[in-house]
Parts: sequence; C-alpha cells; structure tokens
Amino acid sequence: MEKMKIVAFRLGDEEYGLDIQFVQSIERIQPITRVPNAPEFVEGVINLRGNVTPVLDLRKRLNLEKEGHTEHTRVIITKFEEIELGLIVDKISDVIDLDKESIEAVSSSRIQSDNFEGIAKTEGRLIVLLKLSELIKIPGK
Amino acid sequence: MTKVLIVDDAAFMRMMLKDILTKNGFEVVGEAVNGEDAVEKYNELNPDVVTMDITMPEMDGITAVKKIRESNPQAKIIMCSAMGQQPMVLEAIQSGAKDFIVKPFQADRVIESLSKVVGM
Amino acid sequence: MDLNDFLELFIEESKEHLQSINDQLLKLETEPENPAIVNEIFRSAHTLKGMAGSMGFEDLASLTHQMENVLDLVRNSKLSITSEMMDVIFSCVDLIERMVESIEQGGDGKEDVTDVVGQLRMIQNPSDPTNVQAGAYQESAAAVAEDIQFDQYQLSVIQEAKKLGNKLYQITIQLDKNCVMKSVRAYMVFQAAEELGEVIQSNPPVEQIEEENFDDSFSILLLSERDTKEIQAAFHPISELSEVVVRELSDEQETAMPIEKAQKAVKSNAQVLPKDKGDQGAAKKKHRSKSIRVDIEKLDHLMNLFSELIIDRGRLEQISRKSELTDLTETVEHMTRISTDLQGLILNMRMVQVEQVFNRFPRMVRDLAKELNKKVQLIVEGEDTELDRTVIDEIGDPLVHLLRNALDHGLESAEERTAAGKSEEGRILLKAYHSGNQVFIEVSDDGKGIDRGKVLNKAIERGVVTQSEAETLSDREVYSLILSSGFSTAEKISDISGRGVGLDVVKTKIESLGGSISIESEPGNGSIFRIQLPLTLSIIYAMLVKTGDETYAIPFSSIVEITKISKDQVSTLYGQKVIQFREQVVSLVSLKEVFNVPATDTVEKQELFVVIVRKGDKIMGLVVDSVLGQQEVVLKTLGGMLTNLYAVSGATILGNGEVALIIDSNQFFK
Repeated sequence: MEKMKIVAFRLGDEEYGLDIQFVQSIERIQPITRVPNAPEFVEGVINLRGNVTPVLDLRKRLNLEKEGHTEHTRVIITKFEEIELGLIVDKISDVIDLDKESIEAVSSSRIQSDNFEGIAKTEGRLIVLLKLSELIKIPGK
Repeated sequence: MTKVLIVDDAAFMRMMLKDILTKNGFEVVGEAVNGEDAVEKYNELNPDVVTMDITMPEMDGITAVKKIRESNPQAKIIMCSAMGQQPMVLEAIQSGAKDFIVKPFQADRVIESLSKVVGM
Repeated sequence: MDLNDFLELFIEESKEHLQSINDQLLKLETEPENPAIVNEIFRSAHTLKGMAGSMGFEDLASLTHQMENVLDLVRNSKLSITSEMMDVIFSCVDLIERMVESIEQGGDGKEDVTDVVGQLRMIQNPSDPTNVQAGAYQESAAAVAEDIQFDQYQLSVIQEAKKLGNKLYQITIQLDKNCVMKSVRAYMVFQAAEELGEVIQSNPPVEQIEEENFDDSFSILLLSERDTKEIQAAFHPISELSEVVVRELSDEQETAMPIEKAQKAVKSNAQVLPKDKGDQGAAKKKHRSKSIRVDIEKLDHLMNLFSELIIDRGRLEQISRKSELTDLTETVEHMTRISTDLQGLILNMRMVQVEQVFNRFPRMVRDLAKELNKKVQLIVEGEDTELDRTVIDEIGDPLVHLLRNALDHGLESAEERTAAGKSEEGRILLKAYHSGNQVFIEVSDDGKGIDRGKVLNKAIERGVVTQSEAETLSDREVYSLILSSGFSTAEKISDISGRGVGLDVVKTKIESLGGSISIESEPGNGSIFRIQLPLTLSIIYAMLVKTGDETYAIPFSSIVEITKISKDQVSTLYGQKVIQFREQVVSLVSLKEVFNVPATDTVEKQELFVVIVRKGDKIMGLVVDSVLGQQEVVLKTLGGMLTNLYAVSGATILGNGEVALIIDSNQFFK
C-alpha cells in the first residue's frame, strides 16, 4: 500500500492536511509587512531567515470566517516549484501517515473542489487535503 | 615523487595534463600561464621537470626554455606542441629542451616522455 | 580519464578564442599587412585545434587545422589576404562556433566540414584542389636500403678515424608508428649521435629526413670511440623510438662497398634545418592579469551572506546607540567602515566590463551591413566600463536591437547619403560611460534622424495619440512614441529589424533592469538612443520614510530632494493637489492614499514631508508622514507569487529584522 505523510492542522473546527513533501518548516507568527495592492488573502511578507517570503491567510484564501491570531497560530512554510510561501493556520495538529487508498475524491458540492486534493479518513478524523498548486494561484488571473 | 611544473596558457590543457600526471604518480607542484610566469615559477619551485607549451602570450615557450636554461643548465623541459610546429619544436630542442610531446596528448606518450626525461 | 570533467572549461576557452579570432579578423580586414594580427589569430586557431583534438572532436580539429595552415602561409608571406579568403575564414569561424555550440548543448560537435575544408585547401594550393601529397614521398620511403656507399673523401675520413681508435657503427633507428614530427625526432637522434662521435652518413640523406621524406626508419653511420652498449644507452632517453639497432662494421664490409654513386657528404652539424619564423615578432602583446574563475553562484551566495551581515550591523548600530558604551560604539564604527570596504569589494567582484557584450557587435554589424548593402563604420567606446554581472547578462539583446535599428532604419543607403552630401560610409557609435551611480550606454548614428511627422501620423493612425494631443507633444515625447508597443516606422518590412518585434521590447527590458531609455534626434543628422542603468542591482542607497505605521524605502536614484511644507502651501489644480517647488508646479501623491495605509489615530499634521522624485525630466512629490533617514539596503524580491505589484519593486530587510517595501516611484507618473 502506498503511504504518504501529511502535516495536519486546524482552521476553526475543520481539519486540513498538506503533503509533507511541500512543507519546508513551521514557524511561529512574526511581524508581517503588509503589501499594498496585493490580493486580499495575501497577509503580507515576512523575513524568513533573510529571505522575503509572502504569507497567505489560509482562512481568507478558503473563504472562511476571519479569526484573530492566538498563541497557537502558526505559519507553514511551503515550497512548490521553487516558490516559497507561508500559510497561516490556527493550530498544527500532528504529522500523520496515510494510506493513499484512504483518500476519497471530493464529491461534496459545499466546497470549491479546485483547492482540494481529496478527503482522508483516518482514525475517525476527516482531513481535507489541500492542493498547493491551486492555492498559490491568484483567483481570477 | 617527481615534481612537475606545467606551463600552458590554456587552463584546459593544464587541467588535462595535470590529470594525466597526477593519476600516474607525478606531483604537479605548479602551473604557469606564460613564459614569463614559467621562468618565475621555475626559480621558485625548482621542479624536476617542466612541460612547456610553445605558443603563449607574453613570452613564448621557446624563449622561456632559453631563459630557464640560462640560469639552470640542468633544467629538464619537455615541449608541448601541436602538429605543424616542427620548426619551433626543433628550435626548442636546439635550445636545450629534452623532449617533446604532441597534442592531442596520449596519456601513455606523456608518461613515457616524462619518465625518460626524468631518468636521464 | 573522463573528458566531461573538462568539457565546461573546453567550451569556455573555445569561446574566448573564437571571440578573439573574430575580433582580430575584423582588425585584419582594415590592416591586412599587420603580421601581429595574423599571429594572434594563428595562435588562437592553434590552441583551439589542440584542445579539440584532445577532446576527440575530430571535425573541429581538422577544420581548425586547415584554417591554421592558411594562416601559416599568410604569416610567412606566402599568401596575401584577399576578400574572398576573409569570407572563407569567416565562414570557417562560423562553422567552428556552431560546433562549439553543439558541443555545449550536449551534441557531438559534428558538422559537414568538407565544403569549407575544400575551400581552405583551395586557398593553400589553388592548382590542385584535392591537394594530395606529392609523389616524392613514396619514392623516398622505399629508399631506406641496406647497401651503404661511400665516396673517396668519406673513406679517407673513416681510415683516419680508425687509426685514432674509433669504430664505425651503423645505427638503424625504427621510429614508433605513432610518432609525429619525425624530422624533429630524427634530429634528436642525430644530436645524441653527435655527442658520441662523428656522423658521416645517413640513409636517407639528411635533406630528406629534414623534409620528413622518409618512412618510419632511417640509418646513420657513426664514427665513435665508445662501445656498442654505450651507444645503445645514449639513445635510450629519446622517446618514440621503437627499435635502435647498433652494429659495428668490419673493414671488409667497408671496403666491399662500391665507391661510385656517391651521396653528397653528410655533415649533420651543417645546420640546414628550417629556422623558426615564429612568434617572437608578434608585437603588442595582450596584458593578462592573474585571475581565477569563480562560479557566479558563489558570488551570489557571498552577496547574500554579506547582506545578512549588513542587517546585523544595522542592529548592532541601534544597540550601541542605546547602550552608550564607548567601547561598543567604537567597535561598531570600525566594523561599519570595514564592512563598507568589504561591500565595495564584493560589488566590485561582480562587476564585468561591457566589453564582454560589446565584442560580438563588430562582427554582427559587419555582416548586417553586407546584407543591407550599406557601408558603415562601427566605433566602440568605453568597453572597459563596468556593470553588474546581472545587468550584463540582460543588456545584450536590447543593444542588438538598437544597433540593428540604427543600421536598418537610421542609416541611409550609400546613394542617399551621397545625395545628401554626406560621406558614403555611415557611422554608428556605441559608447558606454559612468556618471554618478549610473551607467550610460548610447547607440548613435549619423543617419537621417527620426521624422517627427511620420512618427506622429503613425501614432495617430494606430490610436496611440489623438490629433490634438499630437500637437502639444515635444520632439522628445514624439520620439519616445517609437518605443511604444507595436510601433514600427519602416515602410519596407526588412528581415533585419522588421520582425514584428518593436523597440518596445527594448524599453520593457531596460525598465525591468531599473533603467530608462531616451531618444534624441536631429533630422538629417542622426539619432542617439541613450540607455541609463543602475550600477548594481543588489545594494542601493535608499531613503526610509514612514507613513502611518509602515516603513518604506525610496531609492536615492529617483529622489531629487526632500522638503518640508506646511499644509496651507498645498493648492488644488484641476482636482489635483499641487505645490510650488522651485518655481515649478509639482503635483502631489499621498503615499497613504495610493498604498491604502491604515489610518493611525494621530491628529492631522500641519507639516508635510514631501519627497520630490523624478522620472526622466519630470518631477512630482510623494507625501509621507516622516523621514527616517538614508540607509544602504539590500534588494530582495517579494517571492514568486507577488510580481508586478503597483509601485513596489521589491523589499529589503531592515536592521530590526522587519521587511520594508521598496517603492518604484516611476509608476506614480502617468
């Protein structure tokens, strides 16, 4: 059975996951510089050990309700095709192994399916797997 | 180990020679990029044998052979030439070069030449 | 040995030599009599041949070999240069370039060389295109025979020598099959023999050996006091001898020899071997400084590390100011000075002379002029002007475009020029120079200049400007219209610059490099295209300003002045806020507004800071809350996702670790 590792995290009550091969690191929230005239879901840029890295508010990106930052808020630094990007999430759950077979295609019409790879069911948890290649696109462009 | 000074203006040629030599147990103690440099390096490094390119800027190989042999009559120098340079090789030999090798270099030939010259 | 290890170096050096050949060939066209130039070309061709042979690129080696042969004849004054010959050599160089390119792209460097090789051979020997070696060769090869013949004189010499205790030896030398330069090898044998005694004869005769008119073997007769063993040993150090047979000849053998059919006396120390006409004569030798090659990535890395250091330095400066510790302050000051020097050095290492880009143009212009049937002289000035490596890599294409434009559209045909009372030969000047923190590159021609009317007609036709706008435009503004997209004034679409790509590409490229381009023109007298570029793209001086809680950096290069005004100096003109500044009406842009800076609850200030910025010769004012001071900042990109943002060209990291955006004020000008 083919396995994959994901980083699981929470946005409100829902649990999401990202394929760990795209995850560079997980950072605490730090001062973010606003970028004027950038897409709305772009929170700004941060200084990531000398590199200027854009950070997205994942809630805004997925059209979820806005929440303030807490002590659990983290930035997941991802890298996809040489583009580094931070994603702000409410809380990191854990890193888990998944059987690829346990991932179901997204059928629910409630959510825009473009952003999602599928839904994983494991140990009673429902984890929505995000499709990074779509998230980094600017909608409408 | 036999200490060799490689003289050639083309870094590529120096690298080739160095590779051949080091793989066959010679020690390349220095590299020079023209005749002037060669004379300087010879006096500084006092190598057992020198491989000397002929056509180089600043000072050509033949003049360098003459200069080196002026102050070091025992210097062992092998000319590195290309096809069609007979007259120059000849002049170099007349000026005291001990042997010559012809580009493109055959590793065996290079090693033969150096061994023979060093064995003199 | 893995040749791939050397491939990169091979390609790099081959390119250098090709460039040098191209340059020198062009010089040679103007100074066909200059032997130093031929020598220089010869040397490069020669080195190329050697390198190609070593790498096993046979086609390349054989082509360069033929080229070298032709050049050899030229430098030995056996051939004089003709225009046809130059064309053949140029096409030969082109072919070599293609081969090297093919090799660079992982190919085998094979090309059909027969045609060019044939032409090169034809030059060497016009009467015999197949150029087969003369028959004399075969004849002499068979001449190594066993019989030895002496004339009277030789016999008497032998008799005399024997009385003095010498013995007569016949030494037969077999050269290695792979031996090249047999004549030189043979000379070494003779040289060794001379040290043992007296050589009285050789077979074939010395003249033939000198001319390499012999097979793999030859024999000599030697009078010597030494014994067979010693003689044998004396030849040992000579390479490439596969067999040395030393045989002592008895009296009977000598006297049995017929005397007639005498060969000419052999006196091998009568030195008739050809003398070198080689390179000593080459005047004006290029100065080469000692240098090493460094991977550009390493330099980039060094630069990045250094910028981290600058950030820490900024932080240290803050700390020391707060702490008021003299020792700390002094140390930090010292560190600042040193790091400034270090920075200069690092930036300097990244600087490359524009020569690297310029040096391909003379050839290009020559070919293009031929194609267009125009006469042109390209003058290149300031090749030693230095630019940052990143700029150098990008500037080539725009310049090609401008040169082509000058040649194709700028210069008139020879007839038109004569009719206009100009010299037949047009002139294009390519010039680079420094000024302040900027580098300028100009492409100017003495052609017909830009026709204002024509440009305007086209612009109106294409809807770029309206009729009424057109009348108000200055000449300069009109000229700059030809840089707008899709604009081409050539009535006849030529192959050269009418490829559907307009000069707008040039403008876009230059602006992406942080530079600008302007045009001056005088009808009938020509045009000047002037490119202005920043010295470096990595570290810039910037003014830090604050608006609300946000800090921004404005590059010094676009700042004219910073001024403080009171609120009541601002007036409104056609709905646009303006101020009077040095007798000029300057429109204002509020950073807070254009960047939607969140309001801070401070009371509205009565005093405004205005940063006067410029673009070309226009100026405007940027209103900010406060000015923090100037600082060197390291340019960083915003990352892949955030490109083409309005009025933001990048970001930098401040001393406190926070990110500040860098403002591209050009975009505030409409």
